[in-house]
Amino acid sequence: MSAWTDKKKKENPEIPTSSMADIAFLLIVFFMVTSVFSVTRGLEFQLPRQETTQDQTPEEAVHILIAPSGTLCTFTVDQQMMALEDINIYLQPKLQRNPNKFVIIDPEPDAPYRCMVDVFDELKQGDVKNISIPTMAEKSAWGDIM
Amino acid sequence: MNIKAPKRAESYIPTASMADIAFLLIVFFMVTMTITVDRTEVQLPTSLRRTEVPKGAAVIAIAVDGMIHFSNGEEDSRVINVQDILPSAAFIMSKDSLKYFLIKADGNVEYRYIDQVMEQLRQASVRNIAMLTMQEAG
Repeated sequence: MSAWTDKKKKENPEIPTSSMADIAFLLIVFFMVTSVFSVTRGLEFQLPRQETTQDQTPEEAVHILIAPSGTLCTFTVDQQMMALEDINIYLQPKLQRNPNKFVIIDPEPDAPYRCMVDVFDELKQGDVKNISIPTMAEKSAWGDIM
Repeated sequence: MNIKAPKRAESYIPTASMADIAFLLIVFFMVTMTITVDRTEVQLPTSLRRTEVPKGAAVIAIAVDGMIHFSNGEEDSRVINVQDILPSAAFIMSKDSLKYFLIKADGNVEYRYIDQVMEQLRQASVRNIAMLTMQEAG
């Protein structure tokens, strides 16, 4: 009997790690399926402080009216209709004279939002410092200047 | 002469490092993953100029039908009436006056909805706003 027990090989103690990779890959698949690509970039702008709000007079500011036209938009800059790409060409001489020139973006209520973003992006590309997007409540408070 | 045939090496695929590689990938996913508080499906407008907005900003999502979802940046977004943005935004501003508000609106939404949201934010004395956009093919 004792000879039989002596013959028995002693098993090496070990931690089974063969399934570790399976568990890890399962977790990877879980993360890949549940993770969502979120957009974290965009166009920044700052609203004016209530107490320092400056009144813009129409003579000093460039006024860009955005109106819907089918699926597209029309852009009227200081009463002249022009293409989106021409806005910066029109603005650059004015900005050279006065780099702090105010530009008012005035989209109509039924104009698509992307047209406003297009104009905003165009102004940012032209390094316009002072962009103003008055809300309808502000415009009605301003009265007839728009 | 009795020449012994050389012992043939046993063929096997080394899998011991597999778990290490897999865990490395997990760590990579965990580090790069950003927690999304809003999952409203919108078709964002495009722009050439884009800047990174700070993490943890409040999100106002506006779907093409004008439905508004609001999140303070920590909790998941919920449907909200436009008039309720003012108290929610004012509460956030009372805690952090430099808080960023992200406008995540569908490009085809009518501007009137954006205007209403902007008016609420203006009244809540919000200063920092960012409009989320996709990169325009330039």
